[in-house]
Amino acid sequence: MGIEIGSVKLSMDELATRVAQEFAGELTNVSVQEPDTIVARLERSELRQVARRLHDLAEIAYDSLNWIAAVDYRTHLESVYHLYSYATNTYLELHVEVPRAKAAVETVCDIWPAADWHEREAWDLMGIRYEGHPDLRRILLKDDWIGHPLRKDYVDLAENHPHV
Amino acid sequence: MGLTDGLKYPKLENFEHPNIITTSADLVFNWARSHSVFPFTYGLACCAIEMLSSGFARFDIARYGMEVFRPTPRQCDLMIVAGTVNEKMAPVLKRLYEQMAEPKWVISMGACATSGGPFYDGYNVVNGVDKVVPVDVYIPGCPPRPEALFQGLLELQKKIQKMSFVAPTAAAASGK
Repeated sequence: MGIEIGSVKLSMDELATRVAQEFAGELTNVSVQEPDTIVARLERSELRQVARRLHDLAEIAYDSLNWIAAVDYRTHLESVYHLYSYATNTYLELHVEVPRAKAAVETVCDIWPAADWHEREAWDLMGIRYEGHPDLRRILLKDDWIGHPLRKDYVDLAENHPHV
Repeated sequence: MGLTDGLKYPKLENFEHPNIITTSADLVFNWARSHSVFPFTYGLACCAIEMLSSGFARFDIARYGMEVFRPTPRQCDLMIVAGTVNEKMAPVLKRLYEQMAEPKWVISMGACATSGGPFYDGYNVVNGVDKVVPVDVYIPGCPPRPEALFQGLLELQKKIQKMSFVAPTAAAASGK
């Protein structure tokens, strides 16, 4: 019963090749960057269908989402999905570029339920709006906070600090 | 010279008649209050670890008669704010303080609760719990050792023993 962790024995290069072939049209810059991690880039518009297929892949499914990171590169933002595959015991990092002007990505909550709070956190601190999220509220800061403090261009307002 | 120097105790050995105590109301109430302080478990960060270890056998806060940490403000008269207070926590802290029974006291434990500490510039940090509720004793340290917490509690006992039921009048304030 269940999956034996690491039961699918593939070298990282074999695995990277296989992932690159499977998503030849979508994933770019596929490379092995850690002993157990594949890193790849992805267009924002492809995210949902790639996520669904990665989750449902035969044999090497990336069926677990460890966390979602958000990065501010000043020119653009990035939403980074850290996936884990129980069957192969490997990780996959998906980097999705998000423009500053319209910082929005589609949610992956329904594919990996673990994304729920991570997307809320990225929205709270980085201001990336995850469209289709069932409950996109702030998670760490209070509800009436103005701005997204981990953005490089964040300006702290006095309204955020009533206790002076 | 001990830590308890300066604390006042009623002189029980001086009674002339059994079962009758003659003393001032201030003295006996302050004595009782200062030796049965019920602290509110308000651990917010690493200071909470020191606060909890104060409660266990190695440091043993029970020696000072204030070991009964309560999880509800309604049974407490001392709030030990142990840790960083952030903007989201501040209104909650204020409400819990308001729910505590009078008379009530607040100890600000550690650098964070006192001034924001190492997180002074943090976007979400209140720079000192004294901006939200009135503080009686500040304990420096990051985090303070349990011994420092005990000294703070003994300072608070001394403060409690100076309280009075009699409202200060203008004559008393001017020293006449």
